[in-house]
Amino acid sequence: MSCVQSCTSVPHSDEEMSVPDYMQCAEDHQTVLVVVQPVGIVPEDQFFRIYKRIASVSQVSVRDSQRQLYIRYRHHYLPENNEWGDFQTHRKVVGLIAVTTCASAKEWPQTSERFHGQKEVFGSTLYDSRLLVFGLQGEIAEQQRTDVAFYPAFDQCPDVEKRVEDFVESIFIVLESKRLDRATDKSGDKIHLLCVPFEKKDFVGLDTDSRHYKKRCQGRMRKHVGDLCLQAGMLQDALVHYHMAVELLRGVNDFLWLGAALEGLCSASVIFHYPGGTAGKTGARKPKQSQPADAGKRHRPGAQEVLIDPGALSANGISADTSTEIGRAKNCLSPEDIIEKYKDAISYYGKYKNAGVIELEACVKAVRVLAIQKRAMEASEFLQNAVYINLGQLSEEEKIQRYSILSELYDLIGFQRKSAFFKRVAAMQCVAPTIPEPGWRACYKLLLETLPGYSLSLDPKDFSKGTHRGWAAVQMRLLHELVYASRRMGNPALSVRHLSFLLQTMLDFVSDQEKKEVTQSLENYTSKCPGGMEVITLPDGLKLPPVPFTKLPIVRSVKLLDLPASLRPHKVKGLLGQNMSTASPFIYSPIIMHNRGEERCKKIDFQWVQGDVCEVQLMVYNPMPFELRVENMGLLTSGVEFESLPAALSLPAESGLYPVTLVGVPRTSGNITVNGYHTSVFGVNSDCLLEGLTNVKTGGCLVEVVPSLPRLQLTTSLPRSVNVLAPLSKEELSSRVSLQLFNGETQQLTITLENIGTEDIQSLELTSKMVNTKDKMYGEFLSWDLAEAGSQLPLKPGQSVAVAVGVRVKLDFSGQESLLQELNDDGISVTGLPISSPLRHVLKPRAEKSGGTEGGKTEYSHIKSLEAVLNFKYSGGPGKVEGYYRELSLGVHVDVEPSVFFTRVSTLPATSTRQCHLLLDVFNSTEHEVTVSAKNNQDLVLHASECQRMAIQVDRIDFESLPQREPDPQRYASAKQLEEERLRAQGCQINSKLGLCWTIPSLRRQGEASVEGVLNQLVLEHLQLAPLQWDVAVSGKPCDCDVVAQCRVGEAVELEVRLTNRSQGPVGPFALTAIPCQDYQNGVLNHELQDAVTFIGSNTFHIDAVKPQEKAVCAGALLFLCTGDFYLNIRFQDDSSSSGGRELPLSWFCLPSVHIKALDTPPEAGA
Amino acid sequence: MAVCIAVIAKENYPLYIRSVPTQNELKFHYTVHTSLDVVEEKISAAGKAMADQRELYLGLLYPTEDYKVYGYVTNSKVKFVIVVDSSNTSLRDNEIRSMFRKLHNSFTDVMCNPFYNPGDPVQSKVFEGMVSGMMVQVS
Repeated sequence: MSCVQSCTSVPHSDEEMSVPDYMQCAEDHQTVLVVVQPVGIVPEDQFFRIYKRIASVSQVSVRDSQRQLYIRYRHHYLPENNEWGDFQTHRKVVGLIAVTTCASAKEWPQTSERFHGQKEVFGSTLYDSRLLVFGLQGEIAEQQRTDVAFYPAFDQCPDVEKRVEDFVESIFIVLESKRLDRATDKSGDKIHLLCVPFEKKDFVGLDTDSRHYKKRCQGRMRKHVGDLCLQAGMLQDALVHYHMAVELLRGVNDFLWLGAALEGLCSASVIFHYPGGTAGKTGARKPKQSQPADAGKRHRPGAQEVLIDPGALSANGISADTSTEIGRAKNCLSPEDIIEKYKDAISYYGKYKNAGVIELEACVKAVRVLAIQKRAMEASEFLQNAVYINLGQLSEEEKIQRYSILSELYDLIGFQRKSAFFKRVAAMQCVAPTIPEPGWRACYKLLLETLPGYSLSLDPKDFSKGTHRGWAAVQMRLLHELVYASRRMGNPALSVRHLSFLLQTMLDFVSDQEKKEVTQSLENYTSKCPGGMEVITLPDGLKLPPVPFTKLPIVRSVKLLDLPASLRPHKVKGLLGQNMSTASPFIYSPIIMHNRGEERCKKIDFQWVQGDVCEVQLMVYNPMPFELRVENMGLLTSGVEFESLPAALSLPAESGLYPVTLVGVPRTSGNITVNGYHTSVFGVNSDCLLEGLTNVKTGGCLVEVVPSLPRLQLTTSLPRSVNVLAPLSKEELSSRVSLQLFNGETQQLTITLENIGTEDIQSLELTSKMVNTKDKMYGEFLSWDLAEAGSQLPLKPGQSVAVAVGVRVKLDFSGQESLLQELNDDGISVTGLPISSPLRHVLKPRAEKSGGTEGGKTEYSHIKSLEAVLNFKYSGGPGKVEGYYRELSLGVHVDVEPSVFFTRVSTLPATSTRQCHLLLDVFNSTEHEVTVSAKNNQDLVLHASECQRMAIQVDRIDFESLPQREPDPQRYASAKQLEEERLRAQGCQINSKLGLCWTIPSLRRQGEASVEGVLNQLVLEHLQLAPLQWDVAVSGKPCDCDVVAQCRVGEAVELEVRLTNRSQGPVGPFALTAIPCQDYQNGVLNHELQDAVTFIGSNTFHIDAVKPQEKAVCAGALLFLCTGDFYLNIRFQDDSSSSGGRELPLSWFCLPSVHIKALDTPPEAGA
Repeated sequence: MAVCIAVIAKENYPLYIRSVPTQNELKFHYTVHTSLDVVEEKISAAGKAMADQRELYLGLLYPTEDYKVYGYVTNSKVKFVIVVDSSNTSLRDNEIRSMFRKLHNSFTDVMCNPFYNPGDPVQSKVFEGMVSGMMVQVS
């Protein structure tokens, strides 16, 4: 652009108009200026009330004409500016309205004097003046005067507006007369030269008769008449005069006035084109000075607010009045021309250093026109020019005003960033170091207004989406300034808020050094005023939302933790099932899953318990280059009354992910939602809600809190162990004990359960579970009786109950290969162990290879472990009502050392068919001397690693009489298992019959020795009573191996053979034959006894089929013919075999042999 | 040569800004930031005319006391701004244009990098080197 800039500074002089009116706009050229001023003492508020009412009369339709008069009111106007009134008449004060108070008539003369004094100030230019007197009553007030109006009070002046209108009319009359006077004054050869203040001295001594001078006078006068016409509402006339003035002045190179004429032309054209005005409705006015006046003027009745495109108007010929159309076409400038002429005018003004204010104002006016035309680029050029116009030394206030108006104008043309830039400059100007009393409040207010220009909102929510994208450097600077300004304003809360915001949103852009500085100053501020979560509302209504520090520390994941295993609530199964069935009739439906996916993924499938400490684990990290102290970190929850127990933590600099556990206690039951957490960092309290956080992983935040349950604490009589049971993790067991026992030993374990909760324990159950079942186990490992403990229920808080648990270990150590090896080598025949034992087959070769006897001793002392878990289920309180219980588990670990065991078992038949001898090779595998004892047998002392045989006479056992358990198909999956179970039961019975015990006197330990492991089928068969039991009675007396029945020769001896079937199936029919014989004790058996013994009847008995549990008896009689010892062999024939029945084992037919002594003399009693 | 070169994203935030180290960096931030007003105005004005055959080079955005600010906008509305010293009168319009073309080509290379996430700050070393070549060499 071609504007010439005046860059050099000019000393301030009286001739210069120093204060630009930045509010001016093109249409102000058609207004007349009226100054309204208080005279004497007038209360300010009252004055402005009156001023407002006066200023409402901004436009007056003059009587008898179509013309309108526009009035601009000022309550403050510099007389220097008034002196430029000839140059542009709208700068001339033509009216004065003085407002005064006058309490009494005495004061009146003085008041009147003052009024006249006031008139003197603008005296040279005033057309008319008025005085409004308030408060005066009486005779003076009653006199009718045109220039003075009396009112009794400020609120009793109903006709002020009317008065002002009259006043305006009187001004109009003067104006009109002046216009006519000047307009028609063509013939006069002596035209007064109008000049601006600074020109006056230049024209001294100039040749007033020259043609050049005359033309100049004419031109200036034309221009002046144009101004008057414009003010008087004669737009077309004004245009004509301006055009003529331009021609005249251009001819004489009178650039200043040429510029004024061009500007006048522009103003008139703007008024024509844009009846709505160019100031814009949002143009911020200095409220006291001009707003009321402008407000009235901008809303002229009938004026079109919309922009009328002049081009469109002329093209379509909308205007009906052809004369104005022609006139306009001729004289009025087109919108493009207006700008061109403004440019010209400004460049002419620019030639004069003293016309800076005029130039600046012209620029502002042009910008307003361009804003209406939406030509932002050109407007920015005008503004750019305006920036460089030097007005000499401006006061600080003027600078602020200038920057503010530049900002407003940039805003007007849509240059938000430029606008913000200048507003910020203005803000900084408010607190420039040269200002004695810096206006921090104003500075702060202006800074706030720049926020949109830097696309910065003070709501941290706008910054939560991903990485921040903006002019970080510039925004940070602004925030720093806001912080500083608010601090200097004495509002630390604001400083804290802004600084928090800076830290939170700009963290990625702040250098490490700055981080330190910022946090340090933040801590300084918060020491005076801690930051919180409340919304700060500024006096102008701006709300500063709270800034939670979601990045200090940064939270990466939030995980709700289940209670420890011992406190976890379990739902009673039955009730759970009910709930399931009510939820949906389907076990699985993808549709429902889909619909409820959202809800489900949030709800967590474990429960918390009312009244118990619950944990939430956060993974956090510290982005700061120094240690971050987070205080008062706790959970924010909803749904359930929750007592948060805040934690304080200290995170090392630039820490990696760091687990933090936040705890709290739910006080009621229901569903609890963890919404977020609160922290206190650098003295700022933040509530960080999870929903606002990105990049946070949560496994759901909704968890059910079940009603309170009791708590049990478990202590045992044995020391705790740290051994972890193999398949169970440490967490699942609340406590563990371990003990060492010799095989067969029994130990009492006393478990004390104390109610450490707040609820009564109403139910208690105990179950156990073996953990490793590798080794074959005999008998119950753990046994207890809960009846006594149960009788103490309900258990009140603080009370405790003891439960005794017996620990009994019985393992089979006999299968140790090296041991067998060693024992086999000594040549004792092994009858007890079945040769086909798989163990032996596999292990024997290996033992041979090792060969050495040295390895043997160490190996058989190896220890076996037994592990089991005792589970206490307990419940009580409201949780029990809801069907919840808790489990407490105690791990029991027993290291079992071998004590004594039996390497071999064999049997020897005893004399009686009902007894037999059990031969046991007892091996002492301990390092101590052991005494082994059995029932009714003498003790056997064994030294360490000694093996001895002991023989025990045992009664044969009737296994069939064992309580047969119903074969449970689930428990014994196969026949093999069934068989094992049977064996086990038999072994158990044998064991109890034997009652084998060992004691280690040196250790005072004792236990049982079990033969169960070494028993095998063969031995068992030997030990077993035959299922068919034969009893032979001679003369009614039962007869067995050692019993000798006595009878007399010649007398018939009754013989009764009784069969009891104890087997499962029916047996028989059998045929029995009794054959007498005689033993000569020399190895000869004489069966030929037909002459010695005679059967009365048959010697063969037939027994029909005998059903189970039934008896069959057959009786016969014998007659001994001579004395002697006789034996009866009862032979047996199985008749059923011929009929294709099964083969019965031979042992079933183990019949007693009957020994009868036949005597001559009758037997003595008791012999 | 330039004293400041900036690349600004479609959404008007800086992707890259580099200025001669001797001077106040923040000042250039302000300069470039405010120049965006003019860029936007020019784009919207040009957009009305011919969207297709728009000239990418926007010319002188505005002169300040010490600097001249030139602008260039790609079809994807990424803006390049070059600030040159006002005292450097020897610099011709054509030279500015060729600087912008170079800048544009280099930026295209950056965008072609599959590991570059559009919208992230430019950190390419090649781009950096090219910009350094266009900057005023400070001894």
